[in-house]
Amino acid sequence: MERQEARVAWTLVLPAVLTILLVALFPLLWTVWESLHLHDLRMPWLGKPFVGIDNYVEAFGDPRFWAALGHTAFFAVTSVGLELIIGLWLALALNRAFRGRGLVRAAVLVPWAIPTVVSALLWRFMFEGQTGIVNSVLVGVGVLKEPVVWFIHPAAAWVPVVLADVWKTTPFVALLLLAGLQNIDASLYEAARIDGATAWRQFRHVTLPLLKPAILVALIFRTLDAFRVFDLIYALTGGGPGTSTEPIALYTFNALLQNLQFGYGSALSVIVFLITFCLAMVYIKLLGAELTGGKR
Amino acid sequence: MPGRWVTCVLATVLLATACGGGTSLPGPAVVTFPVSALGAEGQVLVRQLARFMQENPAIKVVQRVTPDGADQKHQLYVQWLNAGASDPDILQLDVIWTPEFAAAGWILPLDRFMPDTAAFFPSTITANRWRDSLYALPWFADVGMLYWRTDLMNHPPATFDELIQQAQRARQKGGPRYGFVWQGARYEGLITTFLEYLGAYGGRILDGGRVLVSSEAGLRALTEMRDEIYRFGVVPTTVLTWHEEETRFAFQNGEATFMRNWPYAYPLMQDSAESRVAGKFAVAPMPAGPGGTHTAAIGGAQLAINRRTEHPEAAWAVIDYLTQPEQMRERAEVVGQFPTRTALYDDPDLASGLAIPPAMVRRIIEYAIPRPVTPIYTQLSEILQINIHRALTRQAEPAAALARAQAEMQRVLNRAGLGTGEPVAGR
Repeated sequence: MERQEARVAWTLVLPAVLTILLVALFPLLWTVWESLHLHDLRMPWLGKPFVGIDNYVEAFGDPRFWAALGHTAFFAVTSVGLELIIGLWLALALNRAFRGRGLVRAAVLVPWAIPTVVSALLWRFMFEGQTGIVNSVLVGVGVLKEPVVWFIHPAAAWVPVVLADVWKTTPFVALLLLAGLQNIDASLYEAARIDGATAWRQFRHVTLPLLKPAILVALIFRTLDAFRVFDLIYALTGGGPGTSTEPIALYTFNALLQNLQFGYGSALSVIVFLITFCLAMVYIKLLGAELTGGKR
Repeated sequence: MPGRWVTCVLATVLLATACGGGTSLPGPAVVTFPVSALGAEGQVLVRQLARFMQENPAIKVVQRVTPDGADQKHQLYVQWLNAGASDPDILQLDVIWTPEFAAAGWILPLDRFMPDTAAFFPSTITANRWRDSLYALPWFADVGMLYWRTDLMNHPPATFDELIQQAQRARQKGGPRYGFVWQGARYEGLITTFLEYLGAYGGRILDGGRVLVSSEAGLRALTEMRDEIYRFGVVPTTVLTWHEEETRFAFQNGEATFMRNWPYAYPLMQDSAESRVAGKFAVAPMPAGPGGTHTAAIGGAQLAINRRTEHPEAAWAVIDYLTQPEQMRERAEVVGQFPTRTALYDDPDLASGLAIPPAMVRRIIEYAIPRPVTPIYTQLSEILQINIHRALTRQAEPAAALARAQAEMQRVLNRAGLGTGEPVAGR
């Protein structure tokens, strides 16, 4: 009887399992398989020979790959760091009761609602040229002596990139943190106040520890997103000047769709996947420890 | 419940794929033609295709709208052709894609239709050959030209030295704030600009399977570009983020003395409603340097046939019709695109229709050289773009940038089995 039930159960979940295999695992395995071949659409006369890990060896020996990886890590750390700090500040502000709070909460979400490519172009126009609004304002206020052509300096080009990302995704972080804040029992603050804790100590010893799970969730989402950043930089700098702002996803895209190097591009995709997968694993471990730690 | 739903969806999808395809309707041969022609250009094409269908009732041409950007169009084509789709029968190719698509086996050799290649400018035919076969027919030609201000000087500069002097003099007299503007962003346009500087000093990018950018001429050309920006202050640094349209806006607002651009800008800037320089500019070949000659990068559109097409004859009939002298003349008159047939330039009707004097157009086209004709052009170009842009944004010295470009390009060529140069060739 039990075995029969189990069989029925399996038949019932089978379509779902098959679908998952089909849509999640199959493309992944296919990419891994591709990455072990020399497959270049522009050179069909080379055939599609199995080359083992050659594509990976090539990637690891390619300075552009390491540079792209470095750019991605730099982008992830700076933008996610800023988003977390500003997002926390915003969340704390929004958590207070004031008139029109609902309206402000909705307004904060506006940048998040704008498609990435549109916001990238928006920031591009603001920073572009010698007459863009950023240059006009900075020169007008006296911060800059003369206009800066932001997009031709390897370091300065990062400013609009990071700002655009922070502007767009801070509201998302703020909302996640706000949800966390509202879960904190108000009586804890009362108790802290009775014990004479200053606002700072309340924040350090009540808010932060209890907000940790929400912070971790925000971190997971944002770091993984930042690691796969593509559209923002594609529209904003195109990876330039030279390749100074090229993230790993853009490099992969170029190899695959611009240069039609399917084998090599697949190897790059697999590497990106492994990195984000490991990151997710680390975070989930941390988060899990955090949650069970909370129960203890 | 969700499981059953999924099964239903799966079954539907399978059924749909099993039943789809393979249904060919009786009637005229339908050929599809993806185009991105907007405005007047689109209207000319619609008119011409309507005339064609009237004359050939057995063929129906259906237009498909595609993105305008070259990169986006390239990606779309790759997706279609790599999937083995027979659907777009006719393809409008950028000049640098022909060898790539030919080598990939995606387009038909046209030799069996016996096109009259001798009637076209030789450089436009060379660009469309791969391994001794012709794969596309040049529809119209784009060439890089020097736009100059007739109200600021009497004659266009013949050399870069002259250009620098004239630009500086114009500025001293209170003229435009920018001397010379060109396409300097990190994209294909930068290579066309570089190619023209390179030719001016007698250099080439590729010779057969050998990369030649890291040469005396290459160094002089790149140094000249950099000096015009930083040493002479004639070219503004902001061009390093500019494409065609940004340069046109600067020139038509009267902010630049010289501009490098394609012919499309000419009729647009003659419109006094939008342009402040209408009637105050002319075109000339790009300047030459010592050791080289005036050079024009060649661009424009080519027409090719999808190898998987079910109607090769019908597709050819359309291409043949669109590249006839009458159609080319009409395009030239309405949108100012240059015909690729040599004989048309002696036609008095063309002279009255073309905004630019045909003799000047012909002279510039005769200086035209194609970009390297190789299936891995996009990859070579990308390497070169990055390194030139690094040199122009002062992240690298010109000699080092060129040496690095040369080494990487040669490595890629050799690996493709197309190279004949040293694996790592220094200067």
